[in-house]
Order: sequence, then C-alpha cells, then structure tokens
Amino acid sequence: MSGKKLKVIHYLNQFFGQIGGEDKADIGFMVKTGPIGPGLALQKALGDQADVIATVICGDNYFSKNPEQAGEEGLRLIEPYHPDLFFAGPAFAAGRYGIACGAICKAVGEKFGIPVVTGMYQENPGVDLYRKYAYICKTGNSARDTTESINHMIKLTFKLVSGEKGAHLVSRENLPKPEEYGYFSRIILRNEYTDKTAAERSVDKLLAKLLDKQFESEVVLPKFEKIPPPPPVKNLNTCEIVLVSDGGLVPRGNPDRLSGRGNLRWTTYEIDTFLPESFKSTDYEIAHTGYFPVQILEDPNRLVPADVMRDLIKEGKVGKLHPSFFSTSGNATVSRRCAEMGDEMGAEIKKRGVEAVILTST
Amino acid sequence: MKLEIQSIDIQDLKPESKTYSKDRVLYVNSKELEEILLKDRRIKSVNIHFVYPGDRVRIVNLMDVVQPRCKIDKVEADFPGFIGKMQPAGSGRTRSLRGITVLVSNPGTNRKYSALLDMSGLVAEMSRYARMRHLCIVPTISEGTEERDFEDAVKIAGLKTAVYLARGAEGHPVDEVEIYELDIPSLNKKSNLPRVAYYYQLYSPQHDHIGISDPCFYGTDVRNLTPTIIHPNEVLDGGVVGAHTIRALDTYTIQNHGIIKELYHRHGKDLIFAGVVCGVANMEPVTRSRQAMMAANLVKNVLGADGVVLTKIHGGLPHVDLAMVAEECEKLGVKTAIFIQPLISYGTLADTLLFNAEAVNLIITVGATMERINIPLDAERFLGGTADTKIYCPDPIVQHAGDPVLDVEQFLIAGVHDHLGGAKIIVKEY
Repeated sequence: MSGKKLKVIHYLNQFFGQIGGEDKADIGFMVKTGPIGPGLALQKALGDQADVIATVICGDNYFSKNPEQAGEEGLRLIEPYHPDLFFAGPAFAAGRYGIACGAICKAVGEKFGIPVVTGMYQENPGVDLYRKYAYICKTGNSARDTTESINHMIKLTFKLVSGEKGAHLVSRENLPKPEEYGYFSRIILRNEYTDKTAAERSVDKLLAKLLDKQFESEVVLPKFEKIPPPPPVKNLNTCEIVLVSDGGLVPRGNPDRLSGRGNLRWTTYEIDTFLPESFKSTDYEIAHTGYFPVQILEDPNRLVPADVMRDLIKEGKVGKLHPSFFSTSGNATVSRRCAEMGDEMGAEIKKRGVEAVILTST
Repeated sequence: MKLEIQSIDIQDLKPESKTYSKDRVLYVNSKELEEILLKDRRIKSVNIHFVYPGDRVRIVNLMDVVQPRCKIDKVEADFPGFIGKMQPAGSGRTRSLRGITVLVSNPGTNRKYSALLDMSGLVAEMSRYARMRHLCIVPTISEGTEERDFEDAVKIAGLKTAVYLARGAEGHPVDEVEIYELDIPSLNKKSNLPRVAYYYQLYSPQHDHIGISDPCFYGTDVRNLTPTIIHPNEVLDGGVVGAHTIRALDTYTIQNHGIIKELYHRHGKDLIFAGVVCGVANMEPVTRSRQAMMAANLVKNVLGADGVVLTKIHGGLPHVDLAMVAEECEKLGVKTAIFIQPLISYGTLADTLLFNAEAVNLIITVGATMERINIPLDAERFLGGTADTKIYCPDPIVQHAGDPVLDVEQFLIAGVHDHLGGAKIIVKEY
C-alpha cells in the first residue's frame, strides 16, 4: 500500500456503539466521528495505514425489522465519506446484529465495490444470508474474542487490498484461501493449485475406501429437500395459468442477455407481442446450448404452448392465460441458483395473483 | 502386453535444411515435412511455424496438441487406423520427445469451441504448453473438400508431423526409459492387494459438429460404442487420440494419461491394475442405462475389480452418464472414485453435482474447466487465424482474438486442465 491513508467506516449496533442495551434496540441510525468501542481495537490493528473516520450506529430491532431497507438507509449516511474499506461488527453469535452487519456490508459492497468485512460465529443466521456479499470472518460466540477477531479481520483486509497476485489460483485472482484466512466461503468456486494431481488423489482416496479406512471426498453429497406438491387446482375453468420455461426462448437479439450455458438470469415477455397467433419464426432465438433447437425455432409453441392454452380457453376448460411468459435458460446452471430463481419467480407469480404454473423444459 | 517408452528431452527446436537431432536440439526441415503433409489432397497448403516460450504470439483455432512419438521396432504402427496399418497399439518400443509438441490449427474451422494458446502473458502462466517449444502446423483446405473431411485431414496431418519429428531424433541418446507392462490374462489372482480398474469415458456426441462424430479410436468414431475392454497401453501408444476440439483434452494429454500412469505406478505395490473399460456418453436414456449396466458388469465380473476410478469427458451430459456407471458399479459392490467437473463457479461444490446417489460418495474435482477468466492481450502475432478470429463466450458477447481483453472459459485454453487427472488442480469453495 502506498502513502495515502485508507478511509474506513465502521458499523456497530446500539450496544457496541455505546448507546445502550436492549432498551435502545429500536433506535434508528446515527453517525459518530472516529472509532468507538471495538472501533478502537480496529483502529489499533489498522495502525497508520488507515483511519476509522466515522462509526455508523443503529439499533438491532430497527435494523432487523427490514434489513434491506435499513441497509439502504445506512448506505445514504455512508456515501458522503467515499470509504476505501468498510467494517461491520464483529457480531459474534448475536442474530439480529449479524443480519444488520451482513445487510449493510452488502449495500456498501455493491455500491462502492470496496472490501466489506465483518465477523460472525458460525451459527449466526447472518452467515448464510450474507456470506455471498461480504467477507465474514469466523469468530467465537462472544465479545471475549473481540481483539482476536478484529486482528483476524484486518489480516484478511490487508491481504484483499494488497494487490498481490493469487499464485494459488489458476485465475491468479487475489482471493485469499478461506481456511487460511478464516472466513466463510462466499459460495463461489475456484480452481486451486494443489500438490497432487487429480489422478494421485483419486487413487489415494480409493485405496483408503477399499481398505475401509477414512477417506475424504472432495465434494460432500448434497441433501436434497423433499418438496411436497401443492394441492391440485380446484376450478381450472376460472383459473389463471402462467407459462414458465427454462428452454431459453428469447426474442432475436437476446435483449435480456440470457446465457446459453450457466445462465443465472430470468426474464418475462408479454405473450401477446412475444408469441402471437401469427408469429414469425425468424423473430426468435434460443439461449441454450444444451439441445438442438431446430424444432422449437420452427414453432416456439412447441416449447411454450401458448397455442394450446388459447384453444383450451376458447373451449372453456381454462380460465385465463397470464399475459406474461417467464423465460430462463437451464443448462448447467447449479441447483442453488435454480432454486433461487424459482423463489424469485414464485414470489412474482404469487404477487400477480396467478393460481397455477405450467413449466416446460427441453 | 509390454510397452517401452524411450524419452528424449529436447531443449530446442530449429529450422534447418535437414531433419535430425543433436545435443537435445531438434533441427527440422519444414520443406520436407510440408511435402509429406501435402500428399493428402484434401490439404491445399500448410504453414509451418516455430513457436517458443515467451514469443508474443497467440495461436487460435487449435484443434489438437500432439507429443512427437514414433514406433521404433514396428513398421506402419504409428497411430494405427489413423496413419498406421490396423494393428494393436501398445507393445514394442516407442520414441517420445519431451519438451516439444505439435500444435495443430484449423484456420477455417466453424466450430465454436476452438482452443487458443498464448506463449506470453497470463495464459502462458497458466498453460503447461507455454513452457514448451512447438512446431505449429496450419493447413488450408483444397477446393472441393468437404468441411468434415478436411478436419480429419488436419487431425491426421498433426499425427504425421508428430511421427516425423520423433523419427528425426533417431540415434539421439535416450534420457529415460519407462516400461509399461501388464499381462492381464495372468494377473496375480491371489494377491491381497485390491484390484483397481479404470473406466474411461472416451467421447460424448453432444457437440458433434454438423451431426458427425470425431474419429478418436483406431481411426473411427465411437458414438455407438458399447462398453468394451481395452489394454491401457493401447491408450498410451496411439490407439486413442483427442477429438477435433480441445476441451481440456487433447492427444498429448491422452499419450500421457494421468490415471493410467498412476495405476501403473502403483501396480504391484498398493494395488493390482485390473485393466480398462471404455465407454461413451449417450444421448438417450435407455442407451445410457444399458451402457451403465454393461460397463459395471465388465468392471466387476470380467475384470474382477474391487475398485474403479472413473473419468469423464467435458460437459454436463457426460457427468450424468458417468454417475450412472458409478452407481451401477457400487450396486455390484465395486467401490468407486468418480471425477467430476463443476460446470459453473456459482454455488457450493455440492450444488454442482448432477446426480443424487448416496453410494457414489468419493468424488474428485478434476477442475472447474468452465471457470471464466479475463485474458489481456499480450500477443503481437496470431497463428492459425487472425486478430479477427472469433473466440467463444457463453454469454451473448461477440469477441475476437485481437480484442484487448478476452472473456473465456478455461477449457478453451490449451494445456490448463486435464480431464484424465494429470493436472495439479482441485476445486475449492471461496
């Protein structure tokens, strides 16, 4: 790091911000100049390389009632400072505080693209909610660990801003190893260099498995949740149905930029204009490299059966076709993102008051 | 079956009026090589380039990388079915040149997944090939030749070049001799060591260019192969070559097969190498279950294996196929170690599995070959194409070889990943 001191903002709850205990948990946001409470340890660990210029404080109840909104509110207070680094907590095992630290880290990180670092105990609900958006250092479950946790957060932060090449990664990105720097992985995968070839590892581990010794799989099997089917639709003839497909059907030019493989996006198109009765097959393309799309490009109704739905409505068998079609591309997309997209679509569909969904795949 | 590989470490590659080698330098008469390659009428012309580590050059439209090798004690035995006569590969003596390769580029390719290699910059840090010297051949198509015919011609030209270079080292002192000997019919049945087989998924037809499979096995394609037993030496010695695109797998990688070499290395010490079953990925479900059943049965009841390592070809469909073979093996009591390739860098490792089989509980991450990387342009020259050659990106982005930064998946860079386990790469959660 060169001469210029980095500007640091620190987030604390009402307790660590020295406003008060549980009785002050409903208090809104405030900003104080310089470090406070654990911020003093933070400043000490940062040394002369960075200054904690302000501390943002908010009550746990106030924040956790609506974390996303509170995150935005906090962000507005932080914006004028243009920080180089942002710290929150550590929150240890405190659930509401953990959520607040995670949410504000998310807001600040997305806005400024700067390192956002917090600390939590493994069982803090903030870990799973926000690990994707922040570097969350592993801490003990109580404030006894403050100094150690903060030192740990600083070590990680200095590594992040060092601009060093990550020689341990095929990509050479400066991403510290989670186990070495003690943070919860951010749910991304990276190719890492290792001492042994995959061939050596596989034979070593297989021999252990054959000899009934302990062996460690490089991937732990997932536990899939059983999803009970919803009750059947009572009255189809009055029911509104939406069409959803992961076949990657998009207008020519792919304006919403769905990816043909490993896609993480979904979008909607208005059936009336997107797939009218007199469609032109040249108006479409398929953002999906996992199947031969010729038949669908000939007639997109083969993937998104708007034609059949129109017939059924005319026949009085179905009440209504929802005017939007939900489109995504499901090809080598991980189940986690599929589930998230399902949740997002489900929430939107529910909001629109649609009663049933027909999902078509390839 | 006994194979002796005599390796010579070549430290430099130079153009000369005669092809020969001396003091670890291989001198190459490109004119003579060109004449050999032009005997194939499908090829109109061929450009031959010498490529060195540190050159500010980007090679595009790469379809294969081949280690120079030739048979010493047999005639017409090199890459049987491709250039040699039909005879089993894998026995006798083979000369192998280390430190150099043949880079094979098809400048007129219409395939989206053509690979690239830079000899300097970030790519050079990543690719094992960037530390080697290369003879790069770039054939052009002669009039009236069909696209797929020409691809086969380019492939074969690469193999012929590899043989030509290895022959050029005749008489040079040998640096290392490796013996690969496995007499499968008389394997020690009484040994207490576990018997370990290898299941080799050879090919997947899912990316067949204009619907035609690439020849990769004794001169033929294997699209409809039912699982079969082969000798591991056949793989090491030219019976199997790479497909017509490099997707983390090329002929060089197969010639230096990670798993086969490892099983040989441990044979008689930690395990008994029980042999190789090969099969392919399948496009439809009934075939898939039939092949999984047959492959597992060969592993268990013909090779008599206690355990099996399974490797896959690039892609999602092969992932499903391979898991089904593994599941069938476990059902028969054969313990498995299965290679997987996470297809996307989003999520946890568990999220990337395309199967749900409790018994398949030993999973090796061979590399997230589709991990994205931005590669800045360091090259000043382009071989096998131009600065305008299109480079594939799964996002709807059109990019060209001469762009200041390319957004690519790592499998498009030759010499980074290795589906056969030879690379020291593991996938971790970050």
